[in-house]
Amino acid sequence: MLLEISDIKKTFGGLVALQEITFSIGFGETLGIMGANGAGKTTLFSLIAGHQKPTRGSITLEGQKIDGLRPDQISALGIARTYQIVRPFRGLSVLENVSTGALYGAQKMRSMKNAVELASEILVDVNLYDRANDLAGSLTLAGFKRLELAKALATGPKVLLLDEVMAGLTPNEVNEAISIIETCKRKYDLTVVVIEHVMKALMRMCERIVVLHHGEMIAEGVPDQIAENSTVIKAYLGEKN
Amino acid sequence: MKNSLKLVLAVVLCIFLAGVAGFANEYILGIGFTIFMYIALAQSWVVLSGLTGYISLGHVVFFGSGAYVFILVWGLVPVWLGVVFSGIVVGLVSLIVGYPVLRVRGPYFVILSFGLAELVKNLVLINEARMYVSMRPVFGAPALYQLYTAMLLLAIIATGLTYWIRRSRFGAGLRSIREDEGAAETIGVPVAKLKLLAFAISGVIPAMVGAIFIMRSGIFQSGDAFTPIVSFTIVTMAIIGGSDDAPGPFLGVVFLALLQELLWVNWPEVYMIILGTLLLGFVLFIPGGLYGLFTDYVLRKKNNVT
Repeated sequence: MLLEISDIKKTFGGLVALQEITFSIGFGETLGIMGANGAGKTTLFSLIAGHQKPTRGSITLEGQKIDGLRPDQISALGIARTYQIVRPFRGLSVLENVSTGALYGAQKMRSMKNAVELASEILVDVNLYDRANDLAGSLTLAGFKRLELAKALATGPKVLLLDEVMAGLTPNEVNEAISIIETCKRKYDLTVVVIEHVMKALMRMCERIVVLHHGEMIAEGVPDQIAENSTVIKAYLGEKN
Repeated sequence: MKNSLKLVLAVVLCIFLAGVAGFANEYILGIGFTIFMYIALAQSWVVLSGLTGYISLGHVVFFGSGAYVFILVWGLVPVWLGVVFSGIVVGLVSLIVGYPVLRVRGPYFVILSFGLAELVKNLVLINEARMYVSMRPVFGAPALYQLYTAMLLLAIIATGLTYWIRRSRFGAGLRSIREDEGAAETIGVPVAKLKLLAFAISGVIPAMVGAIFIMRSGIFQSGDAFTPIVSFTIVTMAIIGGSDDAPGPFLGVVFLALLQELLWVNWPEVYMIILGTLLLGFVLFIPGGLYGLFTDYVLRKKNNVT
């Protein structure tokens, strides 16, 4: 297994954000994480990417324990995350945003020229190359989301954590985003974990889905199973009278 | 302009300025000395504050500390060795001091940097008082033309350093910290390490500048060596010129030096008022400074052509 999450618990004071979370992700898999607002999805990403430390449990990447490491160390080991609320480097050009990822992360390129080359290639992949020299702050929301993806890709990850990269996009933009992600996944040999509210996207992309509800895992399985799982339906829609 | 042409022009300018030391009078050398001093200081400031966004309002702490280290070893070691020594000592101490200091950011860092300079000033003052020293004269300093040349050298090194860092991997990391420290860490930038390094590098040249400055002023006194005016002037020059790249502080210093020459002679009473208004205007409306205006213009022209 590539990434293993075992018996994770996270509390904020008296609030239990996550508990008894155990699952693993194999090489090349696409795993979806689904759940209502406040279910603990983003917290889970923060734990994996090192922005927060789990109260209990462990996270390992290729057998190496990564909980307790700093975000930059985890990035260097090959885990990249995007943010749901986008965090571009607004004052830098789109190209500089992405090439910085290539200079650090797991890629750690020493030469500025190579980093710019890789960044340009990735910008072509995510369909943002025509904006390469514009300030990142001038992009639209769809542009920001693709920039988040490009920055993460540039770090040369093994595992890509995508936090709602499609939220707020139009149906057309969603379709484009899905095909971009699938192309990049093949091209860069990635393992992908997606948090998504756009159900259609999740069902289409993922081989397996984990469902969180109030910080607990209530289901795990292939998309079709999840769609028919009575616990999941109850959690989302309530009891049938 | 082609890059090679720019380089040739820069080299010619430097040789000319160095050549001036041979025959210019004291007045010209004095003005040159001050301009080079502020170029060296403002360029160093840009390495930390311009690139990482940690605005230091206490850069005089490096200047004053360098001067103090230098005066302590004055007479014990050769003059120029003492200058280099003060730079090294201050750089090393900054590595230790920077560790806790760089944990706060935004306005808190601004205040802390200012407070740090005042703290060190008073520590030096107390130390001096305990030793019954109120001021330390510098006898037998090198001639002005030598100090002028040394300061020119520091200005060139500082400008080259900023120019180089701005285009390096290190600089890319620093600028990403400025834009969003958390996001920078997420893409693998070791933020704590880079900030600390920038802090120390940013202190080395100002320390040497401080050492050379007291040879010109002929006296070391804590209150003067650590005066906040120096910090404020550095910030003003860097912001008016533009603080994201080496040409910025250079433009800022030259612009302010000219303004000062013009106003100080004719309307000294309005000089500070105009300076304050300018600073406000730039911060509010032209955050990229003079150099930012220039690069925006070039970019717009290029976009219109294509």
